[in-house]
Amino acid sequence: MEAFVREKGKATPWINFDPEKNLLKIKGESYPENSAKFYSPMLEWLESFLQQSNKGPIEVEMELVYFNSSSSKILMNFFDMLEEAARSGLPVTVQWKYHQDNDISLECGEEFQEELEYVDFHLLELKPDE
Amino acid sequence: MVHQIQKFYEQLKEEGIVFSFTGPVSQSLLEGIGETLRQKMTLEETSINVTHKVFSIFVELMQNVINYSEEKGTGEYEQDLSFGILIIGKRDEHFYIQCGNYITQAQKGPLTEKLSKIQSMNKDELKKYYKEQRRKETADDSKGAGLGFIEMARKATRPISYDIIPIQTGKEFFVVTAVV
Repeated sequence: MEAFVREKGKATPWINFDPEKNLLKIKGESYPENSAKFYSPMLEWLESFLQQSNKGPIEVEMELVYFNSSSSKILMNFFDMLEEAARSGLPVTVQWKYHQDNDISLECGEEFQEELEYVDFHLLELKPDE
Repeated sequence: MVHQIQKFYEQLKEEGIVFSFTGPVSQSLLEGIGETLRQKMTLEETSINVTHKVFSIFVELMQNVINYSEEKGTGEYEQDLSFGILIIGKRDEHFYIQCGNYITQAQKGPLTEKLSKIQSMNKDELKKYYKEQRRKETADDSKGAGLGFIEMARKATRPISYDIIPIQTGKEFFVVTAVV
């Protein structure tokens, strides 16, 4: 399976999903005009990735400074897919990284955390120079 | 005409208007204004959280115009352009973001219902409503997630206000204002 990579756009984040390392990274901001359209290839990739057998634990690293409401809905879908995998026994860890002075990013992380039961969801504060 | 423009410009400045835009709204315009808006707020040493809230409301409002304005371009290549008006200003140490566009009669009912519901909610109720709506399946014909107004209300420091002004049969003008 090939990696899923998207370069950072003006209103879209950098995405790097590595199927060898089981490492999924999203970083930047997200407020595209049509979130459903932008993210559908990513969600399709995740679906086929999760269907593969004999997979090790999945690690997710998220560093989102800002995202709009339609991206929020997509991210919920994304986490729900991971939750489903975690429920059926595959360990999934999420590191939600936020900057010290970005209260909103922390709050958004908490609101995803509250929605998930089986995914091991951590909130990680970044130092000012990180 | 030239003098009128200058007068208009000064009038806008006196009212504390930082940005005003009328015409076709697009995603690239949103990205451009958004970047300048952030730069300006950073230069004025606005806190990161206030800047974040204003930017967030601005994005939701502009994308509402793009997705739901009834007024579209008329030319063959302009049909996808949505028209509206946007104003961002500062009054008594508060930022306000105001947006207006034409809507159809059919849009009026659902909009009024949604906004009056949101207006009556406190922050905790808004959070709960937001989470409920986020998990709902989106209708196939919906361009957004139906979360925009809830998001705005959560970011605003006062309840968001709105008005729907009847213009002619089947056509109304919708205005929404949020304060941070």
